[in-house]
Amino acid sequence: MKKTSFDIHAPGNAHHDHHDHVHDHDHDEHAPVNEHDNGPPNDYEIMSRAMQELLEEKGYIKPGQIAKRMEEFDEQFPFRGAQVVARAWVDPAFKARLLADGRAACLELGTILEAERLIAVENTPDVHNVIVCTLCSCYPRSLLGMPPSWYKSRNYRSRVVFEPRAVLKEFGTALAEDVTIRVHDSNADMRYLVIPMRPHGTEGWSEEKLSQILSRDTLVGVTVPSITNH
Amino acid sequence: MTNSPLKNKGPQDIGGDPAGPIDTTDHGMTHWQRQANAFRSVTTMNKIVITDELRRAAEELGSQYGQMQYFEITTSAIKTVLLEKKLFTEEELQQKMIQIRARFNVPDESLSPLKKTPLK
Amino acid sequence: MSPSPLRNSAYAPAPGHRFNIGDRVRVKTMNPPGHRRTPYYIRGKEGVVERICGAFPNPEELAYGFDGLPEKILYRVRFLQHQVWPAYQGAMKDIIEIEIYEHWLEPA
Repeated sequence: MKKTSFDIHAPGNAHHDHHDHVHDHDHDEHAPVNEHDNGPPNDYEIMSRAMQELLEEKGYIKPGQIAKRMEEFDEQFPFRGAQVVARAWVDPAFKARLLADGRAACLELGTILEAERLIAVENTPDVHNVIVCTLCSCYPRSLLGMPPSWYKSRNYRSRVVFEPRAVLKEFGTALAEDVTIRVHDSNADMRYLVIPMRPHGTEGWSEEKLSQILSRDTLVGVTVPSITNH
Repeated sequence: MTNSPLKNKGPQDIGGDPAGPIDTTDHGMTHWQRQANAFRSVTTMNKIVITDELRRAAEELGSQYGQMQYFEITTSAIKTVLLEKKLFTEEELQQKMIQIRARFNVPDESLSPLKKTPLK
Repeated sequence: MSPSPLRNSAYAPAPGHRFNIGDRVRVKTMNPPGHRRTPYYIRGKEGVVERICGAFPNPEELAYGFDGLPEKILYRVRFLQHQVWPAYQGAMKDIIEIEIYEHWLEPA
C-alpha cells in the first residue's frame, strides 16, 4: 500500500507498514476503521476539517494556526525531552532542580511547557519508573510530542498498572527481581518524565550525543537507554 | 471487567482490566490524524474548549468508545462540545462537510485531500 | 488567574490543605455518575500522601462547563501494589502513585 509522503512515523519504524503486522484486535488504535489517507476519507476526517474551517471563518482560530501547530508537533516537541534529560545527566545541579520542579527547570532551557505541569522521576539502581494514563492518554506533549500508538492502546493502559514487569518484558526490558517498580498513573493535572540511568561507557559524551540514546520510550520508562546500538 | 451501570465505571476507566499483549511498535500518524491532533490542541490553546469537557464528551460515547480509533474519539468529542457551546449548528457542520467531501474527488488519490485544500 | 511566583512552577499554592506529606489516607469508595478523575481500581484503597501538587479548578466541574471553583487540592498518593491488587505477582515493595483530589480522600 502506498503511503503518503507526509505521514509521520516513529524513529526507527520509518518503513513499517501496518499491513505486514498481525493486529491485536483489542487495540483501540486499530479498530476496524479507515485510518489511512488513501482511499475514501472517513467521516471523522471530513468532520475535523469542516470544524477547522468553520472556526476559522468565524474567527475563533487564526488562519495558519493549525499548520503551525502541526509543525511544532512534528519538529519541536518530540526532541525537547531528550535535551532536558541529557542536560540533567551532565549537570547534577540542574538534575536536582528538574526533580524539585520540572516546569521551572525546563524554562531554564527555554522550554515553555505551555499548560503542562511536569514531575520528573529518576531511575536508580533500586527503583524503576514507568508512566501511564489509564483514563485517557495524558502525556507531556510539548516535551515528548504525540504519545506513541501503544501508549494510547487499551492493552497498555489496562495492564501496566497491575503487571508492570510483564509489560516491560514485552518491550524487551528485563529488570532485576530486587528493583522496585514505581508506576505513575498520570490521571489528573501533572505530567511525567522519567530520567533514566546514564549507561556506563558514556563518560565524556556531549549532551548532543547523549540525547541520541534517550529515545522517547526510555523517557516514558518502558525501555532503558543502551549504547550497544550506537 | 463488566461495566455495570451501578458501578458508573466509564468506558475510559480501564486500569486493571484484563487485556492482551501490547503492540510495542509506534505506527506514527497519518496526515488527517496530525490535523485532528493540531485542531484539538488549538481549540484548547485558544480556550474555545477545555480538556475536561472533551474527556467527558469522549466518555459519554459509552460502548462506542471501545470500537473507535483514538482520533475518531477526540474528533467526536470536539464536535459534541462545540455544538453544546453553539459555536456552529448541526446544519452548518453538515453543509461544510458536504462541501469538503465534494472537493475530495478520488478514491485512488494517494495524497491526502487535505493537502489539496486551497490555502487561505 | 492572578499572577503568582509559582506561575512557572509545576506546583500551585495549596491553601488550607487538609492532608500533609506522609499522612495515611484512604480513597473514598463511591461511584458517582459523571466525569471522574479517580480511577475505579483505586477507590477504597489506602496509601500515603507523596506530595501536594497544589489547588486546581475541579475537573469534575470543568467537564460540564462550570468554572471549577472553589479550587480543590490535588495530592499524589503512593500505594503498595500488593494492597491495590490482591493477586499482584510482583515484588512486595512495588508501588503505584496516583493524583487524587482532596474531596476523594479521607484519613486512614
